[in-house]
Amino acid sequence: MKNTPLARVSGTILLTAFLVLTLVFAVQGSFETRAQITNTFDRQSQIQQAQIDLEELLRLQIDEENSLRGYSLTRDPFYAGQYRQAAAGYDAKESAIRRTLREQRLIGAEQLLGTYAHLQSEWRKDVAAPLLRHPGERLDELDKRNKLFSDYETGTVAAIRQALAGTDAALVRSTQLQLDRSSYVRAAWVLVFGLLAILFNTYRSRLNRELEEERTISEILQRAFRSESMPLPHCEVGSAYVSATTHLAVGGDVFDVYRLSDTLALVLIADISGKGVDAAVLTAFIKFMIRAIALRKSEPSEILDEFNGAFAKAVGNPYLFVSMFVGVLDTSTFLLRYGSAGHDCAFVRTRDGVARLSITGPVLGVMEEPFGSEAIELHKGDILVLATDGLTEVRNRAGVQLSERGAMELIERATPHAQALADELVAQARARGGNRLRDDLAVLTIRVDGDPPDA
Amino acid sequence: MRKVALALVLVLAWLSMSVPALSDCRLHRGQRVVLYSTTDDPSVLIWDSRARLREYHAASFDEAQAMLPHALLVAPGTHAVVLSCVANFVESPIFQRPDDAVGVVITSGAQRGITRWVLGSDVRLMSH
Repeated sequence: MKNTPLARVSGTILLTAFLVLTLVFAVQGSFETRAQITNTFDRQSQIQQAQIDLEELLRLQIDEENSLRGYSLTRDPFYAGQYRQAAAGYDAKESAIRRTLREQRLIGAEQLLGTYAHLQSEWRKDVAAPLLRHPGERLDELDKRNKLFSDYETGTVAAIRQALAGTDAALVRSTQLQLDRSSYVRAAWVLVFGLLAILFNTYRSRLNRELEEERTISEILQRAFRSESMPLPHCEVGSAYVSATTHLAVGGDVFDVYRLSDTLALVLIADISGKGVDAAVLTAFIKFMIRAIALRKSEPSEILDEFNGAFAKAVGNPYLFVSMFVGVLDTSTFLLRYGSAGHDCAFVRTRDGVARLSITGPVLGVMEEPFGSEAIELHKGDILVLATDGLTEVRNRAGVQLSERGAMELIERATPHAQALADELVAQARARGGNRLRDDLAVLTIRVDGDPPDA
Repeated sequence: MRKVALALVLVLAWLSMSVPALSDCRLHRGQRVVLYSTTDDPSVLIWDSRARLREYHAASFDEAQAMLPHALLVAPGTHAVVLSCVANFVESPIFQRPDDAVGVVITSGAQRGITRWVLGSDVRLMSH
């Protein structure tokens, strides 16, 4: 079963939306993962900084103790200054580490740091202060207490170190986990995207195949509907056709040059109300029906009469009408007998200028009135120019129609050759309409090239 | 007969526990050693019993402080000779694995001649 155009559009939009959505999710997922990993790396970086700071803290603590030993042994105030400097550095560094641990919510490590700081404070009170008061004295008990503090501080620092290392390792594991999960999720999205893309491609191929089939059918139909112009003896025939439906080569205008006998030729141009494929279907009907009538009746008024009766019955649409010019040209005398059913775009260009061929009856499909016929004798160099209202009604940017007078001026100025003249009229109409025509335009030109054989 | 078998089993069980402990000990009786603790604080606490040595490392700060009268602080580099060694006797939350308790007789410094217990990692074997 073939898709309707609406279903095609919906299907394409739906699949495209799925593809875009998949892409958006994949990209969003990537950004989220990136943000998470960045956050983890930031946290890891802070913990690593805390580890470095902790080692620095331990160094400051040792500096503090060594300075105190130096002062106790030498009584040199330089060491007392060093001691105070190291103590101040220790306090500042301890505060910085405590802040980091709090920010990173490492409660265990923060508590251990508190213990460490408390021990150091106790050490200053119990060991450092007495030694500063009595430098040089050997105080065995203080030495032992110092050792006790040292052992406990070392133990506490080791525990903090372990806590930070544990958190660092946990973050590394977490990062690895995030990366793994992100890889799996991304792979899943790529898989979904790939499957959708395959589906989309299959769907598009199917649509293309359907469109190709339709195009082939359309071309076959267009060949059937297309206007034709047969070569005529001692005449040069030119034609041009532009459909308002840009992608179709058919429309509501039709022309035909058809040889009825060795000397008689049917010349037809008609404009059906409406345009597009529906109108084009009627053009085929008109073309072949007029040919059939003209093969029996060579008087244009009779052709129009018969067609008018048949058209109303066959089509059965009171809103549909046709303007038509039917001519029967005798190529042995160049006498043109014609009937014009409301068709006002028929001209003849002679050495004296351009004249419009008169209308001999109303448009077809409206009323049943008799049609008249006229005759005109053509001479060498004369050009019969038949067009549809797409020429006279083409508007410029200001909205002004070309009109019959404008068309006649164009015909008068144009190259006096049948095909060149037809092409020029179409080009001028296009140019006036801003390269876009609102109505179909057909032009048929017949130039008499020689003298009548009878002459 | 049953009593003999039970006694044999008990002896074997005791050997299986004690022999590896003895054989795992890093130091042996008669070895000459130097006492040296960590680089941060190299002086060494020596204890009047191995039980206190063990308790000191497992105790809280206040408990450890209360035990200090049972310890002597010797300067780093003090010489000693190993009298006995108990493998993996001392455990502490900060140790990665249990440490040995080493019985030594001090052979240099102000504490020369006294016998005490010291942590295995505070004892360095003297090179000959």
